[in-house]
Amino acid sequence: MVSQRTQTGLFDRTANLLELISKMPENISDEETQGVLRVLPPDVRQALSAFFIPSMRATSIVFLKMLGKCFIGAREAQKQGKKVILAPFNFPPELLHAFDSAFPLTSEVLSTVGVIALQGQGERYFNTALGFGLPDHICSANSIALGSILGGEDFRPDALISSAPGGCDVNSKIHEFVAHYLNIPQFFLQKPPDDSQRGRDCYVRYTKRMIRNLEEFLGEKLSEEKLRRVMEKANRCTELNNELWEMQKAKPSPLPNLYSLMLYGTRFTMWGTDAAIENLESMVATAKRRMKDPAFSKRPEKARTLWAYTSYYFDVLGLFNWMDDKGYAHLGDGLDLYFPQAVDCASMDTMIEGWARSAWNMPMTRQVGGESMSGAWTEDIVFAAGDLNADCVIFCGHHSCKQTWSVVSILGKELKKRLGLPILVLQGDSWLKNMTPIGAIQQQIEEFVTHALSRKKRSIKATSRIRDKRRKARGEAKS
Amino acid sequence: MDEYFKQAALIENDRVKKWKKDGGRVVGYACVLTPVEILEAAGVLPYRIRALGHGRTDLADAHLSRFNCSYCRSCLQLGLDGAYDFLDGLVETNGCDHIRGMFENWQYVKPSEFFHYVRVPHIVDEDSRKFFAEDIALFRQAVAKHFDVQITDEKLLRSIETSRRIRKYEKEIYQMRAGEEPALTGAEAMALFLYGCSIPAEEFADILKKVIDKRLDYDAGQGKARLMLCGSATDEVDFLKAVEDVGAVIVADALCFGWRAVAGDDGSKTDDPAEALASIYLDHILCPRMFDEFAMRRDLVVSAARDSKVDGVILVHNKFCDVHGVDNVQLRMALENEGIPALQLEKEYGAKADIGRLKTRIQAFLERIGN
Repeated sequence: MVSQRTQTGLFDRTANLLELISKMPENISDEETQGVLRVLPPDVRQALSAFFIPSMRATSIVFLKMLGKCFIGAREAQKQGKKVILAPFNFPPELLHAFDSAFPLTSEVLSTVGVIALQGQGERYFNTALGFGLPDHICSANSIALGSILGGEDFRPDALISSAPGGCDVNSKIHEFVAHYLNIPQFFLQKPPDDSQRGRDCYVRYTKRMIRNLEEFLGEKLSEEKLRRVMEKANRCTELNNELWEMQKAKPSPLPNLYSLMLYGTRFTMWGTDAAIENLESMVATAKRRMKDPAFSKRPEKARTLWAYTSYYFDVLGLFNWMDDKGYAHLGDGLDLYFPQAVDCASMDTMIEGWARSAWNMPMTRQVGGESMSGAWTEDIVFAAGDLNADCVIFCGHHSCKQTWSVVSILGKELKKRLGLPILVLQGDSWLKNMTPIGAIQQQIEEFVTHALSRKKRSIKATSRIRDKRRKARGEAKS
Repeated sequence: MDEYFKQAALIENDRVKKWKKDGGRVVGYACVLTPVEILEAAGVLPYRIRALGHGRTDLADAHLSRFNCSYCRSCLQLGLDGAYDFLDGLVETNGCDHIRGMFENWQYVKPSEFFHYVRVPHIVDEDSRKFFAEDIALFRQAVAKHFDVQITDEKLLRSIETSRRIRKYEKEIYQMRAGEEPALTGAEAMALFLYGCSIPAEEFADILKKVIDKRLDYDAGQGKARLMLCGSATDEVDFLKAVEDVGAVIVADALCFGWRAVAGDDGSKTDDPAEALASIYLDHILCPRMFDEFAMRRDLVVSAARDSKVDGVILVHNKFCDVHGVDNVQLRMALENEGIPALQLEKEYGAKADIGRLKTRIQAFLERIGN
């Protein structure tokens, strides 16, 4: 029961904070914002000040309110006797939104919001997980939230969905551990590492089996009408997401760097709901406004960086906003690469097949869950870097991410070969500050970007010299 | 046994050399879930890639990272430095994320003419069993095509029968180790099994029979503490020796090169070899890369510990091995609930410098359990 808990768990603390933010008006003034920030503990103040910069404050508040609906919604749902189902980020939540008796929560979103918004940044919950004897190389992305749940003084999910088998061992293992420890049911959606039609057909069969198991657990048959309503909203989210992708091609990019996080924060939680649409519409409107603003278009964009897997979340002000201030565009990271497509809502079958396609395309599942980890990941990064006109690529080097670490050397070589782009390989923990401090990360980014840009300039000059020489040899005038 | 020890300590052992000299082809694989019967039936020698405690990883580290398991890095090192140049092909499986990375880098840097990916499901149900049977059929086609051989059903069923005979003998050896007077030490058994997955199956079956006959009245335990060893893929005979040197004998295991290769297969017959293989490899696999089978693994480990009357269980995992690192916590909890002492150990593969620390911890464990 919620009321009997001490409110010391990650979920409870985050839900309480988001409940507070949900009361803020979107048109809050600078002065009022400063007043609100001043009363908050330092970690919370720092994180929220990243979101509350004047140029995107209103949109940030809409985003945080959407997250609030997710957290508070889960709390209310459990009070009403609905089943709150915890799933990893690579599980498209819209399927669960289509059940009346279920509510989705996402492990990695819980951890990330906790790390960003809570005083102490969730480290104590990770330590709780380690206290069980779990090795320190487990992934903090989920183990922070799961550690809080394991500690016993927090929200307890009614069931788990494990959609990482085939995409990530450590994610699958830690969710399995929690399901066993809490003695709650676990439902699986495994990804066959076969990118042919055979693999895709098999995935649809796995999806249908998982839905049957969920229906049995919930005691509710998935309604075609409800699913259609949700999928139509998901299709609207897809349109808006793709609109943002297109706008991001402009130079300077009209998307604030934090949009990367806000986009997948939406994808992993409320996709297929009115709250997600409202949030994405607000994001599009802000980006459009920036595009039209003459002052903004004169702003220098020194470098366009694509992040190959995750970013760093323990100091969003120190990464996303710092990059904004430096004139470094963050064009998104690997978690933004879910390439949404419209789902055909003609029938139950087309919708389930469409949902399965979305699940197949979720980040991690699509890349390192591919038939070839290096192959599928490389294809996506090469495409995104080319399409968004990136100057360089940065690999965050989240220490627990064994799959990407195992093939990042191949990605680097292929980027160089196909696009001539350099890659920076960082080392750290994306969710825990104690591995590499943000100052060290900033320094490495700055050195790398400066070097990458000067190399690019030299290369352009060299190419143009060669072109001029050839023209001269052919007796043509210099253009 | 000394000869097996000697041969097991070599990457390219005398039998492989002779096989190659006689014009035979050898294909490397790393995971216990590889249906080697197909290679056997094709007349190709399946060779299970190992690193034998090689701790050097400088070449491999340029491709895999320091955050990847040192066993996979050591195997890749040997692949890149030429130790495995006698292989005529590689078979990848999705045993774990590290092993996939190892194969992808190996193939990227030093491409093998024959490279095939056997895709093993992580959860067993009707759909995944069908998928795996199809995948085995694809593997069969690929081997037949590349090596230009016919793999008839008859040959394949014969090869499956030989594997079953091997498993039967191996189970007998496990029973002999579990008895009051363990017939083999853990290190001896490991060396024997290692040698076995680098020579033709028929020959290995004969060797096992000889060892069984020879060790009928033998006591390798001599009153030492009886331990069970579970955990990561390890082929480090020296590590097992080190455990036994501090006053213990390993009488049971749940290791990838040990019991895991033996445990499956209920012996049920089917006319379709692909279906038979799918059932042998997918059902009863004691590997934590399977995500809906912890209860089965737990029950098997607990009952093996009880049947072998062990004094304690050591649960080991190589640094960065997530599947065992997490599973071992659950196993430790389950064993302790049953009143069986358990020690969880994290180690670096092949790191000689680590052995002193590990010995100290094992000695302390033995003292704790009263031995």
